[in-house]
Amino acid sequence: MKKKIVLSLLLLGLITGAGTWYYVFVYSANHHRSAAEEKTIDIAATQLVTEYQTNESASNAKYLNKALKIVGEVSEVKKDQEGKTTVTIKSNDAFANVFCTLQSPSATSPTVGSKICLKGFCTGFLSDVVIKDAIVVTE
Amino acid sequence: MKLFFASIFMLVSISIFAQKTYSTKTGQISFDASATVDIKAVNNQVDSKFIDNTGQMIFSLLIKSFKFANGLMEDHFNENYMESTKFPKADFKGYISNIASVNFTKNGTYPVNADGTLTIHGVAKKITAPGTITVSNGKVTIKTLFKIKLKDFITGSYIGSQIAEEAAITVNCEYQ
Repeated sequence: MKKKIVLSLLLLGLITGAGTWYYVFVYSANHHRSAAEEKTIDIAATQLVTEYQTNESASNAKYLNKALKIVGEVSEVKKDQEGKTTVTIKSNDAFANVFCTLQSPSATSPTVGSKICLKGFCTGFLSDVVIKDAIVVTE
Repeated sequence: MKLFFASIFMLVSISIFAQKTYSTKTGQISFDASATVDIKAVNNQVDSKFIDNTGQMIFSLLIKSFKFANGLMEDHFNENYMESTKFPKADFKGYISNIASVNFTKNGTYPVNADGTLTIHGVAKKITAPGTITVSNGKVTIKTLFKIKLKDFITGSYIGSQIAEEAAITVNCEYQ
């Protein structure tokens, strides 16, 4: 009886250990958050910038690290140093916009002046509100 | 004649005050604090500016823009070490002390020195770092590699064992 308990405990420990190892080194190495799978906060780019300009810390509490769905007008499309597409979405202030880096090349390349809707994670506010891992979606 | 002198004066003043501000919003800063496991991350959303004739420079970045290969490591970095909800930003403000040695009209790689204040996790520290400015057909790239002692900025029981005591920081920013 005692042997059985010790054996099952050992087995349990082994399974837990293997599970932890798998989660830390295999699962986490290959799985990242995706804005496509998360519930988003829907907001217009102009509104997002205005809120950040008015109160940065309150906006961080609301939006930092959250998945956002942002709509607005594209003012600039560029590439970053790794070749990823960056999209700047206009606000009412020419010096502060929403700056987004796309996760992967989008099927339809965003064009300057067109309306865009994208999902991504808010990382905070520099001169622009910054969004990472963005994906272009239909509204 | 008056107009002639006025235009001469204007030309002279333009050439004296002509200064160019170089900027980027997609600068690249990465770090390596690997000890027993690989701890590396890269940030491609660095906002940076510098002025060619004074050498004044600023780099600012958001901690949550650092990307790790391992998502769990990224979470630990943000939550346990950088506390990036409380301290979302890091920046460096300073000067290139020998900016006069850089000829922005001539292609080449110029060794430079930066002096300034580095702020990470709400802690400000004076640092100096050697680097290079590369001028290539009007395009300017700033590169530097320097080390910081992690305990100067953050605390954590793993620093010195699983995490290296010093992190190597690489800056590679292409300006427009």
